Amino acid sequence: MYRPFFRQWERNTEHMKLTIERAELLRSLNHVQSVVERRNTIPILSNVQMDASGGKLRLTATDMDLAVVESVPAAVAVDGSTTAPAHTLYDIVRKLPDGAQIELDASGDAEQLQLRAGRSRFTLQTLPPGDFPQMTSGDLPHRFKLPAAELRSLIDRTRFAISTEETRYYLNGIYLHMAKKDDLEMLRAVATDGHRLARVELPLPQGAAGIPGVIVPRKTVNELRKLIEETGDDVELALSDAKIRFAFDDVELISKLIDGTFPDYDRVIPTGNDKTLEVDCGNFAAAVDRVATISTEKSRAVKLHVANGLVTLTASSPESGTATEEIEVDYGQEAIEIGFNARYLLDIAQQIEGETAQFSMADAASPTVIRDSDDPSALYVLMPMRV
Amino acid sequence: MIIRRLPETVVNRIAAGEVIERPASAVKELVENSIDAGARRIEVTVRDGGKSLIMVADDGSGMSRDDLELAIERHATSKLPDYDLSAIASLGFRGEALPSIGAVSRMSITSRAAAADSAWTLALEGGRKSGPAPAGHPAGTRIEVRDLFYATPARLKFLRSERSETQQIADAVNRLAMARPDIAFIFGDETRARIRLEAAEGDLLEGRLERLAGVMGKEFAANAMPVDAERDGIRLSGYAGVPTLNRANAAMQYLFVNGRPVKDRLLIGAVRGAYADFLSRDRHPLVALFLDIEPRAVDVNVHPAKAEVRFRDAGLVRGLIVGALKHALAAAGHRASTTVSAVALGALRSTPGAAPWRGGGGGYGYSPRPMSAGLAEQGAAYQAPLAGALDLPPGARVPTEAEAAAATEEYPLGAARAQLHGTYVVAQTADGFVIVDQHAAHERLVYERMKKALAADGVARQGLLIPEIVELDEAAAQRLVARAGELAELGLVLEGFGPGAVAVREVPAMLGRVDAAALVRDLADELAELGQAFSLKEKLEEVCGTIACHGSVRAGRRLNIDEMNALLREMEATPHSGQCNHGRPTYVELKLSDIEKLFGRR
Repeated sequence: MYRPFFRQWERNTEHMKLTIERAELLRSLNHVQSVVERRNTIPILSNVQMDASGGKLRLTATDMDLAVVESVPAAVAVDGSTTAPAHTLYDIVRKLPDGAQIELDASGDAEQLQLRAGRSRFTLQTLPPGDFPQMTSGDLPHRFKLPAAELRSLIDRTRFAISTEETRYYLNGIYLHMAKKDDLEMLRAVATDGHRLARVELPLPQGAAGIPGVIVPRKTVNELRKLIEETGDDVELALSDAKIRFAFDDVELISKLIDGTFPDYDRVIPTGNDKTLEVDCGNFAAAVDRVATISTEKSRAVKLHVANGLVTLTASSPESGTATEEIEVDYGQEAIEIGFNARYLLDIAQQIEGETAQFSMADAASPTVIRDSDDPSALYVLMPMRV
Repeated sequence: MIIRRLPETVVNRIAAGEVIERPASAVKELVENSIDAGARRIEVTVRDGGKSLIMVADDGSGMSRDDLELAIERHATSKLPDYDLSAIASLGFRGEALPSIGAVSRMSITSRAAAADSAWTLALEGGRKSGPAPAGHPAGTRIEVRDLFYATPARLKFLRSERSETQQIADAVNRLAMARPDIAFIFGDETRARIRLEAAEGDLLEGRLERLAGVMGKEFAANAMPVDAERDGIRLSGYAGVPTLNRANAAMQYLFVNGRPVKDRLLIGAVRGAYADFLSRDRHPLVALFLDIEPRAVDVNVHPAKAEVRFRDAGLVRGLIVGALKHALAAAGHRASTTVSAVALGALRSTPGAAPWRGGGGGYGYSPRPMSAGLAEQGAAYQAPLAGALDLPPGARVPTEAEAAAATEEYPLGAARAQLHGTYVVAQTADGFVIVDQHAAHERLVYERMKKALAADGVARQGLLIPEIVELDEAAAQRLVARAGELAELGLVLEGFGPGAVAVREVPAMLGRVDAAALVRDLADELAELGQAFSLKEKLEEVCGTIACHGSVRAGRRLNIDEMNALLREMEATPHSGQCNHGRPTYVELKLSDIEKLFGRR
């Protein structure tokens, strides 16, 4: 007798039954549940989808813009699927004792999931998995691999500059694209919020040639960063101009991309800034932090006066008083005075791993370029503040 | 199709549609005529909200038989002696009112010129004239308008309820009455007088306040600050209410230009600008302002009903109004409205157990305090060395009873006596006591300090890496660019970007990552509507306000006597400390005499 596949699958919802190790389930739930928004107008978006078959439990969570799918080993007694509230399920599993064996059973009442562990029993309301929105990736013509460590560093050094302002939605993500540098093909990540800009580049991985420029949304970036925190393997990227997929180990993240045009950022990166100085990055950041204690709560303005081998940092506020700190530097050019938002300076200083940071300035009204002296792969542009 | 010249009656009915919109506009036209005729007493009687009868009688100069016949002709007037429309000194000038009213109603005019020995009467019915015939009438003119709009049934259908039309007529009479305290106004239906305003004797300004009290309420008179300013031949006078006296709409804001009541958005914008520090956006102060301006500098021939005017130099007028109001507010910085203490006393008196010692309630009269202009300066002079801090030197000793008594005499806000519920400071003054809301008061002080710092240091501006291009319509973009200097002072640097756009280059650092496009659009709308850009300053002050709120002593914090006194002294030294940022009072003063009344000692 012919029976369409999906009919069979739907029937299975009533029969899922499995046993799983608490630690395994917790780790995976932790990964997927953070995708789920706290409040939803569509009830099923609060749920996590569970599909059990072939000794594995597959967990899926989505907010319709991105989906995370993770598989964990489980002792599956009856194949099947169901969906249950993600945050509630996660909280329950989190509070169960270490080493517990958890039994998930949707084989009884069609609308309920039984969870048993030791002497604890929970009954959760379920919704039919047939209603769970499926995130299809479509055709992803471009595929390449990046070591997880490189992807982490790419994200870390750019995401602080992502804009949160909704009206310029095309700035709400990291712009990933190909670029040429001295005849070398590079993979570049750029983010800006209009006040500062971060640009990080890597040699173009094999297979990435010809990728379109895409803007990966902020939430996707943050979720991805959490997922790849521990992995040591390569991450496989696959993308079209509308979707992107990251896959590693037993995890897969599919996301829509921001449909917009990233501004021509190259134009705002100055090339002729001739007043350069190098500072010890740690000392500098600590000094900025100290001096900024004084500056007014909201604007956080810190002034840099650079002359004769000395950077003088000052901040003042009519409320609290003034602060001054000097740092010795190697600088013999014309004196310059320039103001910055202390928080922006600290954000950038945090990304610099090398000992020294290099500042290239033009004047008090023009963008300043900051680099890691030991690492040419990253570049930051910061717009001064006029005090 | 043949083009025909319309008959006179139709022309007049068309004109009537513009000039006479509803009974209230007929009343306005007729009363204006009476005022222009030099009347000392004007009586208005209506029936059915003016639909069946409007009668306006005055004791003005009256009209001779010939004048009477001419008066009902279109574009005939006595009011433009030199035919010069650029110098209009009277309320009317178009010569349209009488024929227009006559075209749509049954109207009769009875008049006797002051010098003549007999009166004449003339009737117009739907535009058809009958008369003149001799009649008996004292000097002056009486006009009766019956069945208004009977000739234009369509208009009749659009009238509102009797009650609402009567109210509109009352408003029209009130507006005209406010400008002329020297004329008695009586308005009513046939059973009772709704408005009875006697002519003021003597000084015009005193009479004016009395008249305003009659129209806007006694509360206004008791809480009004005089406004008087002159610039470049334009004189602004009148009264403005203290900020704690406020309303949910701007209905109680009146502007008179050369005695003519006008509705002008310039006034609303200017008033909002002047009170922005003291009132939240949705509360409106009460003001009545009189502008005397060279007739050539203002165009009243803008609107058939003359409700709008155009100033040759609107910026100057706006500046004058804002400046004068701010000045008045600064001078009265410490006056919380008497309504506040009246309410407080009212609440005290209604406590169960407090015997109703005088029947009826509302019997006691609080006397409006004399203007405490200069109170701030006074306080500052006494307390100069101490001003500026709640943080006293650690060794400060508690003042002795004698010193406290001396302080009571010296300081307007008196000597602190106690703190109640960890929230209210009670201080004894020379002739009563004040209750201070410590959080509201300190919040205001911190806010004033921050504003001063902001004004002194300027607003820090964060440059934008990518200038934000905001598309606007051409006029809006031009208006913004014209005010670019002013906006730059507030931290927003923008420049023109082609004809229909501006490029934002720097934004106020305080606002963090602000949505510059939305801000610029708001500003453009405000410039178009109010002629002034409020929202930027408001946004900055909102941030100041939030910081001020977090940085000030909370309700519930215990203060010792020294701390309380320091708070009082700083309030005296700080202008505008009488109300918090939202228009609520920071302190309430109760007079000894009021308290004595509570106990029936007076």
